[in-house]
Amino acid sequence: MSNNTMRMLTVALAAAAVPGISTAKQPEEVLQELIAKHKSAYLTQSPQNMMMMPDNPAYELIDEGKKLFMQARGPKNASLEKCDFGKGPGVLAGAYVQLPRYFADTGKVMDLESRLVYCMQTLQGFTDEDPAIKKRHGSDSDMMKLQTYIASQSNGMAWNPPMKHPLEKAMRNAGEVLFYRRSANLDFNCAACHTQTGKRIRASVLPNEKVPQEWTRAISWPAYRVSHDHVRSSQHRVLECLWQMRYPNLKPGSDASIALISFWTDAARGQPAILPDLKR
Amino acid sequence: MNQKTTLAAAIAATALFTLSHGTTALATDKAAAKVDYTKMKPEALAEYLVFESGSFDLEQPTQEGTNGRARLTQDELMQLCTKAARSKKGLDAKTADKIRAMAQATIKYPEGGIKLGDWKKGRDLAWSGFGFRTAHNPDKHGPNNPPGANCYNCHQLATDRTGGDLGPSLTGFGKLRGNSPEMLKYAYDVIYNPHVYFACTYMPRLGANGVLTPEQIADVMAYLFDPESPVNK
Repeated sequence: MSNNTMRMLTVALAAAAVPGISTAKQPEEVLQELIAKHKSAYLTQSPQNMMMMPDNPAYELIDEGKKLFMQARGPKNASLEKCDFGKGPGVLAGAYVQLPRYFADTGKVMDLESRLVYCMQTLQGFTDEDPAIKKRHGSDSDMMKLQTYIASQSNGMAWNPPMKHPLEKAMRNAGEVLFYRRSANLDFNCAACHTQTGKRIRASVLPNEKVPQEWTRAISWPAYRVSHDHVRSSQHRVLECLWQMRYPNLKPGSDASIALISFWTDAARGQPAILPDLKR
Repeated sequence: MNQKTTLAAAIAATALFTLSHGTTALATDKAAAKVDYTKMKPEALAEYLVFESGSFDLEQPTQEGTNGRARLTQDELMQLCTKAARSKKGLDAKTADKIRAMAQATIKYPEGGIKLGDWKKGRDLAWSGFGFRTAHNPDKHGPNNPPGANCYNCHQLATDRTGGDLGPSLTGFGKLRGNSPEMLKYAYDVIYNPHVYFACTYMPRLGANGVLTPEQIADVMAYLFDPESPVNK
């Protein structure tokens, strides 16, 4: 058997072992193709993490999330199969790479997390106080399981938030202003760390918002974070950056968080999403 | 302005502030119903998102005794440097001069001159990224866990630890630059308020913003200049 055949067989077996993954490509293949096309110290910074990607603990969350998605739950005893993430009720393939987007039923621009919460409230009857909604973080949360499953259905697809509705543009543009807005004890903005290529905080190479080929990995959440031993969301990434910047607490699903996520998703436009990813 | 009018103005300003503050909740509720994001300029919408949309916990207490609102409120330097960061032309010479002068005015020098403290304490401070973080996990400052100086986040210092490279390498700082009074003052100024020399730098104003105490600055200075410090080995 040639090396190539062997490799293809391995990939096929790996794909079979991960039923939740929607495309033929595995996340690590999406990453390797990016690396082949674009030299980036950020993309290649941890060979050890790259070796771990086929064993990404986030895969477990895909399976659990799929079960939760299909299961009749909540006071209304309904599944999430009628939830519309922008491409029609129950359509998940490619839905996440087109978020955040405007939803006519709420009149708001929503990201994956806020849309998921909306569906759990309206379709399933959960309230904000129910653990299914209230617990936003951690691999053991319903939120992270569901988000990881839904996002995995966009693996390898190009980020393509619609940016057609005036509200989508307004949120993206305000997000850009926020990205550059300096404040708090250390005078930081997001741009302080994310507008240069190859620079490091301590040993960590930082992604540059102006380079879509590496920025796509920066925004590829959910991702398993090795240093946290948890799968983390986009909302968690925003929160942690703002915590380091000495900002006050940011409310999950808030308009400021969605404006930032709208801007950062637009900045990765056209580049393939790595879902789920595995990061430091 | 004489002292009396200054005082009167201050009282008037306080009264106005209290008045507007007392009606904030009601005004926000009404505004929320009317606000159309698509009719706002991006800058105005961004300010609205920060202060009016309920996105941030503006009342969250901070370690310095203020609140989340104060953390998010920009002073003049932050505003000017935000504008420059967003501008394609960058920082213009006139604004840069203004920022340098503003920065100079903030610097307070220790009585009895700039002195070096304890380089061992300075090493701990340089390494520490602890302090003043709030959000979902507020840092609890204490006598045994003071806020740090965050130096290694952006600078390489001693070579026994890995530092970042957003800022220049400071390895061998004192050895290479000597410890003349001018050099000590320069380093002190940069730590206290680096905009005196580097207008709109991303280095924090560690003295002017109250991140470090005067004693801590002396300790960090010792870490940079002391011949015994690993920075100079």
